[in-house]
Amino acid sequence: MAIFDVIFTGQNLALLGAALAAALSGMGSAKGVGLVGEAASGLLTEDPSKFGKALILQALPGTQGIYGLITAFLIIFKIGVLGTPVELSVAQGAYFLMASLPIALVGYYSAIKQGRVAASGVNLIAKRPDEIGKAITSAALVETYAIFAVLVSLLMVLFAKV
Amino acid sequence: MSVSNMKRLTVILPAEEVDALMQRLMRLRAVSLEKSEHEGGDGIPLCELDVGDEVAAAAARAARVDAVLPVLTKRSTRKKSLLRSVNPISYEEYRRSPAFVKAEKTVAETERIVAAMSAAREEIAAEQALMDSLVPYLSFDFRLDDEGTETSRFLLGALPAGVKLPRLEELAERVGFVTEVLSEEPSGLYVAVICHRKDADRVRSELGAIGFTPAAFARTDGKAMAIYDAAERRVQQLRQSVTRMDSQLDILSENLSDVEILSDIEHTALLTAQNKQRLRATERCAVLTGWCPARCEQRVTALLSEYVAAYSFEEPAEDEEPPILLKNNGFARNFEWVLGMYSYPAYGKFDPTFIMSIFYFLIFGLMFADAGYGLLLVLAGFGAVRLFEPRESMKRFLLMFGYCGISCILFGVLFGSYFGNFPIAFLQNVCGVPVDRLPNLALFPSLEANVAVLFDPLQNPMGFLLVSLGVGAVHLVAGMIVKGVLLCREGKPLDALFDIGSYLVLFSGIACLFLARVAGIVLTAVGVAAILATQGRSKKGIAGRIIGGFGGLYALINYASDLLSYSRILALGLAAGVIAQVVNILATMKGASFMGFIMLILVFCVGHLLNLVINVLGTFVHTSRLQYIEFFGKFYEDGGVPFKPITPADRYAQDVSEEALQAARRNGTESAPDGAGERVRVTETA
Repeated sequence: MAIFDVIFTGQNLALLGAALAAALSGMGSAKGVGLVGEAASGLLTEDPSKFGKALILQALPGTQGIYGLITAFLIIFKIGVLGTPVELSVAQGAYFLMASLPIALVGYYSAIKQGRVAASGVNLIAKRPDEIGKAITSAALVETYAIFAVLVSLLMVLFAKV
Repeated sequence: MSVSNMKRLTVILPAEEVDALMQRLMRLRAVSLEKSEHEGGDGIPLCELDVGDEVAAAAARAARVDAVLPVLTKRSTRKKSLLRSVNPISYEEYRRSPAFVKAEKTVAETERIVAAMSAAREEIAAEQALMDSLVPYLSFDFRLDDEGTETSRFLLGALPAGVKLPRLEELAERVGFVTEVLSEEPSGLYVAVICHRKDADRVRSELGAIGFTPAAFARTDGKAMAIYDAAERRVQQLRQSVTRMDSQLDILSENLSDVEILSDIEHTALLTAQNKQRLRATERCAVLTGWCPARCEQRVTALLSEYVAAYSFEEPAEDEEPPILLKNNGFARNFEWVLGMYSYPAYGKFDPTFIMSIFYFLIFGLMFADAGYGLLLVLAGFGAVRLFEPRESMKRFLLMFGYCGISCILFGVLFGSYFGNFPIAFLQNVCGVPVDRLPNLALFPSLEANVAVLFDPLQNPMGFLLVSLGVGAVHLVAGMIVKGVLLCREGKPLDALFDIGSYLVLFSGIACLFLARVAGIVLTAVGVAAILATQGRSKKGIAGRIIGGFGGLYALINYASDLLSYSRILALGLAAGVIAQVVNILATMKGASFMGFIMLILVFCVGHLLNLVINVLGTFVHTSRLQYIEFFGKFYEDGGVPFKPITPADRYAQDVSEEALQAARRNGTESAPDGAGERVRVTETA
């Protein structure tokens, strides 16, 4: 099948990995940030002065998208999309695809879950604004796994032999 | 680095002195009040001081000023800034000054103008509604209150859009009246109907059947045209007066600073009244109970001795929980708010601020190791404090980031990051230095160009991971040692030896495995044996002890997961580094041309600023987390309530006594809240 040979080149598989990393974790972050934003708007109708605190909570689930972006960028550098393209075998391309999976999957899932924790944190600071530290810490616990995932993805990409 | 000792303060004083003393205690900022539960004695009952009216009146006055403030703030031409210095003044002195009168006048005047403006706006809306209702009838050339002649009758009104003129004419023919179309609009047909006076009711009901609605006007004292013109003139007049009032408000807004101080003064009066609610009193005396830091005892005594008052300072009883005031040196003090975000230590327990501040400093810098960003943090943190002299809590917040910036610079130099790889990218893409002549300075050899002292984390992530975990190990062991010391202090040296010592022996054994194999194996074995032997010691029976011992060994998994949690230092460091690298590539892409230069500056500024903001937030959150969960989990006994002394309202100014203010003026220091003698350094609770 000639068409398969054209589509599934090493370069394209690696690009698919970069795309998945950026797209899935970006989708998760968008959803997570959106969840917190909805909760925050409810709070702000009552008390606009809490905008700063609500904003910090809203920013938290945004990091997964950044992690995905970084992984995508690193893959793009490695395979030379911006400069001279590197010759990649199908196996090497698949390697990058695999390497992108941790942050793509965990980034998507953890951003949504973190968004839910942060959204409930917004309810917390509505009643007790002084307890924002606890709200942030709870949300940061969820992010741990996204951090581990991006660590694994980054290490795999950085150590790729191309 | 400790929790301050607190004394329970009880004061009994004549009722008429309460106001004066309360104000001075608030200015002292060294006493917190508790709702007094003094029972009284000798059969004299104590009741709450009845100040409900006073509170309500003070609240109303404060609310008045607060309502005016945003109006003036919006119009003020004064430079707006997030940070502003809070100058010490004496509220009492201010009350006697012309500025105070001016502020009160400004408030009254602003209130009057705002009310007049909204009345004028309402009238404009009403007049415009009248004008709109008149427009279709402008060609009707009789007075609107003219009902007709002796025998005839005028009816003005509209027919809905669906009803056409022939239908009306047909009806007019049948019923017997005359119509004149005044105007035809998309909304319908506006007509004047003239009929016999005696037929009026019948005509009205016949017309009603085809949807005729009689016109109603807010004013009918003249011809439509005349009323319309009058309304138009009135609107114009009102608009002019609104503009005039608007500019009056603009002028009034120049007094904003005075109104702000007035707001503080009114709020201070409100706070005084609210504080008085916490007292108990007989007819003649009042009882005040609260807490005072032991080191402020002298100052409070000096103040109280000026009054006819009985007072006592007592050590807190066993079952009491005094509020917590932390005492730290000039560096660690700036990290107290990070501790406050978690929870304050319980009274009499260990205050971890100092040791935490050192690790916070190190880990923040390692996580965000970049000399360029660090420099920006230093400039922003220390610069803002220098320029604006912000209030204490804001100052500490800024200083903490300033100090963390120093740490970022140190680690940034070690790991060769100056706005990411900017030096390399600049040399390579703008100066055109060939790849093989780029600097490669790292102590640990690297294949790629870098300007690091040790090594570049992006080129040697495993090395950086080891550094991260190493710092993590030190952090965790420090936490365990603190726990051990605390156990020893509580008189439980054996617990310290078994619960902490055995694990430390095991850890040092594991560490030694890499250096001296035999010693490592021996130490590890001793550690494991000690854990197995001691961790079940509180259990009953042989089986329980053995299970307990293995449970202790299983707890090692917790330590391992704690340690791996520090790999986030690497992950966040890489994140910052890679984004910076992307920015640098985009910034230097166009090379050494004119356009390239413009692009360089633009992309560099926007990109790196964005990266800075994102990463400061991330680094702050995750450095805090490592303290809260990994570090505090080892030893911290929290649960204290922060000490909140009664203070005057100091949103815009800072109240000090007149004498202190004069002394400060004599010394030529314009703003010296600490030197003013009445300001105690207290932990402000964010």
